[in-house]
Amino acid sequence: MLGPGPRYRRPVTTERAIRINGLVKSFGAFRALDGLDLDVAPGEVHGFLGPNGAGKSTTIRVLLGLLRKDAGEVCLLGGDPWRDAAALHGRLAYVPGDVSLWPNLSGGEIVDLLIRMRHGDPASSRRDELVERFALDPTKRARAYSKGNRQKVVLVAAFATDPELLLLDEPTSGLDPLMEQVFNDCVAEHTARGATVLLSSHILSEVERLADRVTIIREGRTVETGTLASLRHLHRSKVVATVSGELPDLAGVVGVHDLAVDGAQVSCTVDPDALPEVLAALTAAGVVALTSTPPTLEELFLDAYRQPTGSGR
Amino acid sequence: MTDELAGTRLLVRLALRRDRLLASVSIGALVLLCYASAAATAGLYGDEAERVRAAEAINRSPAIVALYGPILDVRSEGELAMTKMTVLYAVFVAALFIVLLRRHTRVEEEAGRTELVGAGAVGRSAPLAAAALEAVALAALLGVLVAAANTAGGLDAAGSVAFGAVWAGTALVAAGVAAVAAQLSASARTCGAAAAGAVGAFFVVRAVGDTGPAWLSWCPPLGWNTQTRAYGDPRWWVLVLHPLLAAALLVVAAALQRRRDLGSGILSARPGPAHGSPRLADAITLAIQVHGAAVVLWTVAVGVLGVAFGMIAPGVGDLLDSGTAKELIDKLGGLLVAAVLSMIAVVVSYFAVSVVARAGSDEGSGRTELVLATATSRSRWLLATLLVALLGAAWLLLVTGFGLEIGYVAASGPDIGDLVVAALAWVPAVWVVAGLATLGFALRPGWTVAGWAWPALFLVLTLVAELLELPSWVGDLSPYSHVPQVPAERWDWGAETGLLGVAAVLVAVAWWRFRGRDIG
Repeated sequence: MLGPGPRYRRPVTTERAIRINGLVKSFGAFRALDGLDLDVAPGEVHGFLGPNGAGKSTTIRVLLGLLRKDAGEVCLLGGDPWRDAAALHGRLAYVPGDVSLWPNLSGGEIVDLLIRMRHGDPASSRRDELVERFALDPTKRARAYSKGNRQKVVLVAAFATDPELLLLDEPTSGLDPLMEQVFNDCVAEHTARGATVLLSSHILSEVERLADRVTIIREGRTVETGTLASLRHLHRSKVVATVSGELPDLAGVVGVHDLAVDGAQVSCTVDPDALPEVLAALTAAGVVALTSTPPTLEELFLDAYRQPTGSGR
Repeated sequence: MTDELAGTRLLVRLALRRDRLLASVSIGALVLLCYASAAATAGLYGDEAERVRAAEAINRSPAIVALYGPILDVRSEGELAMTKMTVLYAVFVAALFIVLLRRHTRVEEEAGRTELVGAGAVGRSAPLAAAALEAVALAALLGVLVAAANTAGGLDAAGSVAFGAVWAGTALVAAGVAAVAAQLSASARTCGAAAAGAVGAFFVVRAVGDTGPAWLSWCPPLGWNTQTRAYGDPRWWVLVLHPLLAAALLVVAAALQRRRDLGSGILSARPGPAHGSPRLADAITLAIQVHGAAVVLWTVAVGVLGVAFGMIAPGVGDLLDSGTAKELIDKLGGLLVAAVLSMIAVVVSYFAVSVVARAGSDEGSGRTELVLATATSRSRWLLATLLVALLGAAWLLLVTGFGLEIGYVAASGPDIGDLVVAALAWVPAVWVVAGLATLGFALRPGWTVAGWAWPALFLVLTLVAELLELPSWVGDLSPYSHVPQVPAERWDWGAETGLLGVAAVLVAVAWWRFRGRDIG
């Protein structure tokens, strides 16, 4: 599938696909990235999240060697993304969120051009199959494409060959739900053969379905990183209980928040460390009904996005 | 205000705000050129008899008449002073107004901004109306300033008013042509080419009319510029023609616009190939694909211009008595060729700048990012742009040279040396201009737009320094000043290698900066 260039098999080394330590990038006085860390293991789908302007696209552009870092350590597929840009790009595919194409070329021409520019061969790629699956009219001039169709052109080019790494920057913006499904399938197919995916997205369900691990950044810094399960674990659960005896005094327990009492029912949010103590107190009070809900993904993100460091939003 | 035109006033203000630099610099340069020409004339010719001799000499030379138009009143000082301005430099006025109108109509539409604007409380016809109103306002301003500048330069006040009106009228017609052209295709480049082609056709038809069947001179609007006879005994009624034609063109444009959908053109786009050609595989072939059609159009344009002026050139000696030495006749032919080449070199410089500007807009819209995210290196991406800009410009000058040679030989002119070599003498200077544009782009993508200023700036510098007799170093700042005017002058290896050296340094610095800077 891959044209000339290094033959690619499922990576067996323990080398990280992406390793970023303390990355700093400023535009004039504005510090877009302020000591960002990102670690992506080979073969994983890594969700890359953060509010608008957090620095997701800037990070990806540094990874592509389009922007020069001011400080920090950046390693992409074992190479230096600035120095070895063109060589590394033969092994990856990039999908930007805001696609602009050559207005006079047809969609089909652009797909083939992008594949060939990565040293791929359109004829032996899955390009025709993908054009069909994404319901793309390849004879239309790019000028006439809608945003979603422009996005499809670049997605088809990215998924047609077998790159080691897919850098996807909000890749489904403008796609309809049907096409989002095709996109999810494509990502699954590529991870099944061992490709690494860095997926920047705002669509939480997409991240939840696809990502093995996530990194959440805010104001150019990494605020959370880990598997979704571990992130959930780090966050408060909501506990609602009905007791038969006297209501325990939970207000004094460190790690209990948002306490509300309604008759025999008590509800609160509890830090993971405080859960044993809360459960013990409830048991002692003769608990008759108990629900403990882990934070939803939305709550997790909102929590991480909002966390005040200096100037919170 | 009707619903169709709602929001026009706001859009006019937006247009003026966006054009404040482009319009003020361009109009300033044009006014300065007029002033310099007006002020220089009194010093050039001692008395009326001398002026009449000069004017009659011009009229007797079909070559010069083809280039500038005839002088209809040989006794008038103003007609002589404005020889070059009346038609030839009015073409630059037309070019400015085509740029302005296209910028606010088709370019906005292609970029999708018209959609954004149209979704506001803005009528369907408002963008076109606003662009037209801006053009009217700037044309009026240009006319008033030119009239004032010429009067200040010592020319007759009433004539200066008529001349200002001629230039304002030219501007209006160009705006009207561009407004119609903007309706034709969904591509802003095609629309620009159509408008430029129309003005080129006006020029050629006028040149044919002025040197042949007189009625043809009255057909194209550029012919009216001469026929107004601004400084002679002005035919005031001719001044009505420009605004009338412009109004008619605008009405046509508005009607065409009502007949089409937003984002489309009257000429519908053909579907493209479903698969890319295997040739279209890297940055260089992409650049050739992107610029190919433009190169073909330019080739035809400079080829036709070359042949036309080549055929005229031998006639330049007609003004001299038959007894005059043959060398002198030949020398005048050479002078005309050199003058034509200097103009074409400026125009070809704009081709090179347009290629570099394209690289800038590619970067602004994210296409460069898409390419550089593939295995294409930055050096190769810049190389692709430079190849098309530099080799394309050299190719166009070569075609011009061949065109001149063919025309000249066809008109059986005396041997004045190799005209192809004469054309190629301009290549290094054009490359310096291209190098400057590339350097701006390489330093910061936002500075690419400065590239458009260089050819005009250097032309004005050369001309103004000459006309106002400024110290020679002022003119020497322009690369065009250093080009040996072959065949009128000798070939000068020193100047040519010097220019090539400067171009090489500019390109090298541009390459070095482009490799090191942030993209986007």
